[in-house]
Amino acid sequence: MIPDWMQKIEARACPCCSVSSTKKKSFVQKAISDILTFFEECLVNDAIARRKGLFQSLDPRVKVVSIIFLIFALAMTHDIHILAVMYAFIFLCAWASSIEMWFFIKRVWVFIPIFAGIIVIPILFNVFMPGDPFFVLATLAPNSHIGPISLPAEIAITYQGINVATLFVLRVACCVSAAVLLFLTTPRNLLFKALRSLKVPKVYILTLDVCYRYIFLFTDMVRGFYMAKKSRSLKVLPLVEEQKWVGSRIGYTLVKALGMSEKVHLAMVSRGFNGDIKILHQYSIKNRDYVACVCFFSIGIVMILASWNMLTI
Amino acid sequence: MEPIFDLQNVSYTYLRKFEALKNVTVSFYPGEQVAILGANGSGKSTLLSILNALTYPTSGEFYAFGTRVTEEMFDTLQDNEFNRFFRKKVGFLFQNPDIQLFCSTVYDEIAFGPLQLDLPPDEVQKRTEDVICMLGIENLRDRAPHMLSGGEKKKVSIASILSVGPDILLLDEPSGGLDPRSQTWLIDLIQDLAKCGKTIITATHDIGIVEQISTRAIVVGEDHTIKVDADSASVMGNRDLLISANLIHRHTHRHGTLQHEHFHSHSKNHDHTH
Repeated sequence: MIPDWMQKIEARACPCCSVSSTKKKSFVQKAISDILTFFEECLVNDAIARRKGLFQSLDPRVKVVSIIFLIFALAMTHDIHILAVMYAFIFLCAWASSIEMWFFIKRVWVFIPIFAGIIVIPILFNVFMPGDPFFVLATLAPNSHIGPISLPAEIAITYQGINVATLFVLRVACCVSAAVLLFLTTPRNLLFKALRSLKVPKVYILTLDVCYRYIFLFTDMVRGFYMAKKSRSLKVLPLVEEQKWVGSRIGYTLVKALGMSEKVHLAMVSRGFNGDIKILHQYSIKNRDYVACVCFFSIGIVMILASWNMLTI
Repeated sequence: MEPIFDLQNVSYTYLRKFEALKNVTVSFYPGEQVAILGANGSGKSTLLSILNALTYPTSGEFYAFGTRVTEEMFDTLQDNEFNRFFRKKVGFLFQNPDIQLFCSTVYDEIAFGPLQLDLPPDEVQKRTEDVICMLGIENLRDRAPHMLSGGEKKKVSIASILSVGPDILLLDEPSGGLDPRSQTWLIDLIQDLAKCGKTIITATHDIGIVEQISTRAIVVGEDHTIKVDADSASVMGNRDLLISANLIHRHTHRHGTLQHEHFHSHSKNHDHTH
């Protein structure tokens, strides 16, 4: 029996309205769309890993070992010129691996201002790192201090600070570029399996693999939550209400994730899983893999020796 | 008669590379019962999502109630009259009830919509009670939605949209996962709502219910374009079309010693003569 209020068909015409495109977006909408963009890029990355290119043609174990050694060597280097050459070398590798340069630059530099930039800012100033002034920002009264910290007569950016900051940012950029190059050119499943060659315990590899598989499912579910709410939202809710909703959905996602992990475990048990993780290895190292491995180790060693003035180039 | 929804050359692409809809031009009119048919992945759900202004066309234009729908109308923090009008007017039943149900109890779930209409508390209670009574889910009132069975979740999902009193219902695979009795109940409900003048647009690949819930059928092909837009009876009578759209297939099976072959749809039990 359909109630009377439900039987009424509204005859009111649609109200015309215009909404400015410059208005702020809902924070929930923004957060979800940004998360989805990130996962979208993950999918695109898998497409890069399937392309034909220099790094794609190498054995994943060789890539993992070589890149880890290269990162170690970069961390040991304290010469800006060598780091600049290495940055160019990594770019060359990315180009030879069919990665679009602009995409590669964006992937690397999006994190550097956040992680390296903020850390390095204090080093620029003579308050934290004394040196020759490059640019004087302010002149203070004699014997100025903040609490127990006494301040110099002039607050300035120093040459030495700029040098150290550049070295630090360049080193981070090189290390991140090398890591991004590895992630972009290696399918995730092969990357996880290659970690076994570094004796990473199997349980971690299985956990990573399962996480990667199900994170897409849960992302899709989160997007569904938002869509469902949006389709039933007649008015903009107060921020607190929105936050409450986000909190409740986080809780629900956790409940679903726990439930699903139990079911996934049961599905594994039903197919013979008894706690002993078996990972299929089907790798074959070719001559080019040996050559690449030797090249990367040689470059790394030369870089360290040159940086420590044990080798003159 | 002015269309309520009008799509002009609408295309939609997921992740910038997976096409879900291609050059769709179609209009929907008040009081119609329309079935959107297509195989899995043909783009039915995307089409419904666009009609509910949850997804926006990658190219082409979508008009609802004569107004061009754009992302800014629905995704800003700014409250606007069109948004309220649209969400009050159009109810969307999601394919997955677990996504749709987001409150802590069934009662709260059904009351969510009327509360947003700023109705007086007694009116909200009346509407909620009416819908609970109408759908016969009194026993579920205080239960947590995620603890319900599949059929119960579906009923609560339907209740949650009906309590707003929408004139247009978009139903995404409403019969999916329902047992035969619940399916009959659903068909009866859709027919009753249709008699009240509701516009009901249903996406389904369950061709067994098409003629019972719609008078017009739109077939979306596996190439994501609209293949046919005609009356339901003629679409259901067009075997070649249904085969090409992957809605029915030739099936060989055995009853004791008798083996025979006939066409049937993917998702249902079926009757046939031997």
